[in-house]
Amino acid sequence: MSKRTERKDMGYIKKDYVKTRTMPGSWYLSSYKYKFNISHMQPFLKKLKEKKLIANQCSGCNRVFYPPRLVCGQCLVKPDRWVDIRDTARVATYAIAYLKDAETGEVVERPMVLVHHDGTDTCNIAELHPDVDVKDTYIGMPIKAHWRETTEGGMMDIEYYDPIEDDAKDIK
Amino acid sequence: MGRQVAIVSAGFSEHASKRSDVSMPELVNEAIMDCLKKVPSVDPNKDIDAFVNGNMPAFEGANIPELWMTDWMGARNKPLMRVTTGGTTGGTVAIAGYYNVTAGLPGIDTVLAIAFEQQSQGDTATGLASVAYGEISILNTLGISYETLGRLLSAGAAIGVAAYQATNYMSKARITEEDLARVVVHNRRMAAKNWWAHLRMPNLTIEEVLDTPYVQYPLRYGMLCPASDGACAMLFTTEEKAKDMCDIPVYVNGVASVANETAVLGYDGSGSAQVDPSAQIGAMRSSELAYAQAGISFPRKEIDYAEVYSPFPNQELMWLEKLGLFEETTAPQMYENGTIALDGDLPVNCSGGVNSTNAIGASAMERPAVAAQQIMGTADNQVKKTVHTSIGHGWGGSLNLCTLMVMSDEPQRKWR
Repeated sequence: MSKRTERKDMGYIKKDYVKTRTMPGSWYLSSYKYKFNISHMQPFLKKLKEKKLIANQCSGCNRVFYPPRLVCGQCLVKPDRWVDIRDTARVATYAIAYLKDAETGEVVERPMVLVHHDGTDTCNIAELHPDVDVKDTYIGMPIKAHWRETTEGGMMDIEYYDPIEDDAKDIK
Repeated sequence: MGRQVAIVSAGFSEHASKRSDVSMPELVNEAIMDCLKKVPSVDPNKDIDAFVNGNMPAFEGANIPELWMTDWMGARNKPLMRVTTGGTTGGTVAIAGYYNVTAGLPGIDTVLAIAFEQQSQGDTATGLASVAYGEISILNTLGISYETLGRLLSAGAAIGVAAYQATNYMSKARITEEDLARVVVHNRRMAAKNWWAHLRMPNLTIEEVLDTPYVQYPLRYGMLCPASDGACAMLFTTEEKAKDMCDIPVYVNGVASVANETAVLGYDGSGSAQVDPSAQIGAMRSSELAYAQAGISFPRKEIDYAEVYSPFPNQELMWLEKLGLFEETTAPQMYENGTIALDGDLPVNCSGGVNSTNAIGASAMERPAVAAQQIMGTADNQVKKTVHTSIGHGWGGSLNLCTLMVMSDEPQRKWR
C-alpha cells in the first residue's frame, strides 16, 4: 500500500458482533432504461461542431444557461432565447482527486473544477489542462476552452481548459 | 390552524459499521423498544394510532421494507406510510410524523416515526449510482464517457460534491485544514460519551486527523463520516396527551423542508445554477420559514442547542452560519474559543453528529431526536445549561434539500 492510501486507526472503540446468516444478491443497474429529451440541446451541439459556444436564456429572469436547459428553475418557463457566449471562463470551485493510474499504479493528483463561463449563470463540471500544477489552482482563476482538433458535436469537444493570464486588478 | 404537536420520547439502536448480529427488522425493533422504554405508560398496541417509516431507497437493495417489517414495528392493522427523500429521509419522516398529528384526523393522536438504514447489508456505491444514474447516462449520450465522469465526480460518492463545497467555503472563510480537523475532533470526542454513536474516539487530536491521507482535497480520510447501521424512532403526540405520557414534553413549534435548484451536476446534464455550492439558499429559506412559525426573531439568542447535519466538517461550519446562528465566516472562531463546546454558550452536535454516526436514512432524524432529548434532559451527553429551544437540521438530495425542526419546552401560541 502506498503512503497516500494508507488507512490509520485513530483510536476507534470497536465492538464485535455475532454474525447472522447472509445471502448474496445483485442488482443489475444496466437493465434499467432511462429516457431523456435532448431536443433542446441540438442547436448547442451543432454549434459545438463549429467550435462555437451558445447558451439559452430565460426570458423571465434573464439568466443564461450553459449548457442549455429545458426549463428555468426560478420562473418555470422554457428558456427560448439563444445567446452567443465566449470561450473564456473562471474556476467556480475545485477539488483535487487522487486517482490511481491504471497502467503505472501511481497515485496522481488532478484538479477537478466547476467552470463558470463568462456571461452565464450556471457552472458545469470540467477538467483543467493536465500540466496545471494543483497548487496553482484557485477560485476565480481565468481559463479558456481548449478544443479538440476534430470536433464531433458532443460535450467532449472541449477537451480541457487552459489557464490564461490573469489581468484582473483585484486579485493579487 | 393545526394542533400543537409534542415529542414525548426518542429512541436509538446501537450504531456500528456492521451490525451483523441483527437483521433490518430487528434493528428497527431495537430503536422502537428503546423509544417506548422511556414512556412506560404508553401501550404500543392501543395508544399508538399511526406509523411513519422511511429509509434511503436502494441502499440495502430491498424495496418496500416497511411492509415486511410491519410486525416488528407493531403496525399491524394501523395506518402506515413511508416517505423517503434521500439524505434527508429522517428529517422528512419526522416532519411527516408532525403533519400526521397536527392535521387533527379523527382517531389519530399518537404517531410513531421510524427511520433506519442498514448500510452493511447493501452496496452504498450501487445505491448512489442508482441516484445519479439518470444524470450520468445523459452526459454519456452527450459525449462524456463514463470513465471521465467517474474521475470528475470521484466515483460518484457524496464526497465528490462535498469537496467542491469545502473548497468554496474554505476560500470564503479563509480557514485552513486545521480548522476542519478541529470540528472533527469536537464531534468524535463528543461521540465517545454517547452510547449509540459509531466512531467513538475519546483521545483524538488535531494532529492525528491531519496525519491521514487525502481522499479528495481538501477532505482527508479522518474527516469523513462513516457508513453505519442504525435506526431511530420518535413518538409524536398531541399537547394534551403528552402531559400524561412524560415529564417534560418537547413541543414542535416550526418545521420546514425546502429544496433549491440542484447543484454540481444539474438535471439533464445542464450544469448547476448554484455557482457557489456553499451559498445554500435552500437552507436559509428553510430556517426563515421554521423560525417564523416558531416565533424566533434572534436565532443566536433564542436557540440554546443546535444539531446540524454535517457529514463533512466544512458543512457543520457552513450550516451554523446559514441557519442564522453565527455571522457569515465566523463559525470557525466559535470552535476555537469554545462557544460550541458542551459547557459553551451555544452547544452544537453534542451527540457526535453525522460526522461520527451516519446511518443515512436515520441520521437526519437523529438530529431532531437528540435536540429533543437535550430539552427533556435525558440525552447521553447532556449539556450543562438548561435547554429551552433547540433545532434539528437535515440535508440531502442533490446538495439542495434542507429540513429543519424547531423545538421548545413551551408550546407556541403566536400563530395559533
